[in-house]
Amino acid sequence: MIGVSKMKPYTNVLDRPLSKGKLEVSLSAFAFLFSELVQYNQTQVDNIAELERRLEDAGYAVGARVLELLCHRDKGNRRETRLLGILSFVHSTVWKVLFGKVADSLEKGTEHDDEYMISEKELLVNRFISIPKDMGTFNCGAFVAGIVRGVLDSAGFPAIVTAHFVPMDGQQRPRTTILIKFAEEVLQREARLG
Amino acid sequence: MAAIYSLYIINKSGGLIFYKDYGSSGRMDTNDSLRVASLWHSMHAISQQLSPTTGCQGIELLEADTFDLHCFQSLTGTKFFVVSEPGTQHMDNLLKVIYELYTDYVLKNPFYEMEMPIRCDLFDINLTQAIQKDRVALLGR
Amino acid sequence: MAPAGPRFGDAIFANVERVNAELFTLTYGAIVRQLLTDLEEVEEVNKQLDQMGYNIGIRLIDEFLAKSNVSRCVDFKETAEMIAKVGFKMFLGVSASVTNWDADGTCCGIVLEDNPLVDFVELPDTCQGLYYCNILSGVIRGALEMVSMKTEITWVRDMLRGDDAFELQVKLLKQVPEEYPYKDDE
Repeated sequence: MIGVSKMKPYTNVLDRPLSKGKLEVSLSAFAFLFSELVQYNQTQVDNIAELERRLEDAGYAVGARVLELLCHRDKGNRRETRLLGILSFVHSTVWKVLFGKVADSLEKGTEHDDEYMISEKELLVNRFISIPKDMGTFNCGAFVAGIVRGVLDSAGFPAIVTAHFVPMDGQQRPRTTILIKFAEEVLQREARLG
Repeated sequence: MAAIYSLYIINKSGGLIFYKDYGSSGRMDTNDSLRVASLWHSMHAISQQLSPTTGCQGIELLEADTFDLHCFQSLTGTKFFVVSEPGTQHMDNLLKVIYELYTDYVLKNPFYEMEMPIRCDLFDINLTQAIQKDRVALLGR
Repeated sequence: MAPAGPRFGDAIFANVERVNAELFTLTYGAIVRQLLTDLEEVEEVNKQLDQMGYNIGIRLIDEFLAKSNVSRCVDFKETAEMIAKVGFKMFLGVSASVTNWDADGTCCGIVLEDNPLVDFVELPDTCQGLYYCNILSGVIRGALEMVSMKTEITWVRDMLRGDDAFELQVKLLKQVPEEYPYKDDE
């Protein structure tokens, strides 16, 4: 038929099938968007701690949605209820979907029982970012820390999550470690479950 | 071995935003490098006007007795130029690689302010690698 | 250079590094949420999204030129085709088409067939005046300004507002020749 548009008619978001998550955009498109997110938030803060908190908040919004999306799509509406289960879900499933690879490592803190670390040699969001000297230890990975906190919190594992640069022997660039410190209630519940 | 002496990046108003020395001889102090940049900016502009061919985009190669100067200007007006030993090959390719590094490690850095001097560790690291690679390629000729 | 066939954008997209579109979509969503919280007024959010797009556009144009290897377009018609066929494909992996040219070739519509920004999105009643994808208009405006074209860009159709497609109207206001000598007072 001539003149019939090949456009899809508008359908409510809930009436459309959930995408399979296979679509891609260029890394550059994401990098420019992320850069602008950081620049905008710089105009809204007076100090670096505030900038970190705002990036973390933005990430949290992403994490909460990612949990819902993945539990529905990949896990048949089930989610992890145990500490190691949810940690490995973040380190493997979430990382793979968002960053295209499993995180480089997941380790338990050596000094504190409630601490875990996910480390990445080169965090995707930091790929093109050089931190100016006057910003000290600031790490844009705060956004990723926020994503992790969003996933954990929404799954019932409240935690404090922070991003840190860790210098590596023989490497020009430090790696980023996402430090997860679980709330007391999480460890108590875990102990009860045995 | 053919050598690269120095690299300049100048913004669209002629301000020097990046300068790096690679040779051991002919090092310049800051004032001299700023002078070279603004001089080149003007000469490049004048050459566009003087050129007998219409649509000329300015000087791409200046050959002197003791050096070659290869210049690439992006459509957005940023100029990249390398000064090298006379007869050094593939400099236009190198400039293109440098332009790409600039779009990656300078323009995608949220802490870089447009048109301002470039201070980005990652740009420096990747640039050094690109120039080394280029030297290796030249050695292999 | 003339746009080298409809597959040209595909070839570039296939060669650039890519990320999952959901990371991009959700990050954009987080930005819009922050703006709604910070600025409260929907009209202000529209403005800020456009400004953020502009800031991206003035940087992204160099990436476009460096990685697509295209040279100067001969006229605005070619420029519009380049944005639709190469630009959208190269960055967002989607194709767009150019329609509705006016008689003097200075105003056209760019129609998006797919738009990764809006997956999962529905406008709530409180945000009916929001141009959710307003960042895109800013990107195009900023990018074109860096190659000496002043444009005005408006949304003509928006699927989040019930239309059958996304359509941006791109109007060329003036082409600034970048010729020397610059005036002394500049």
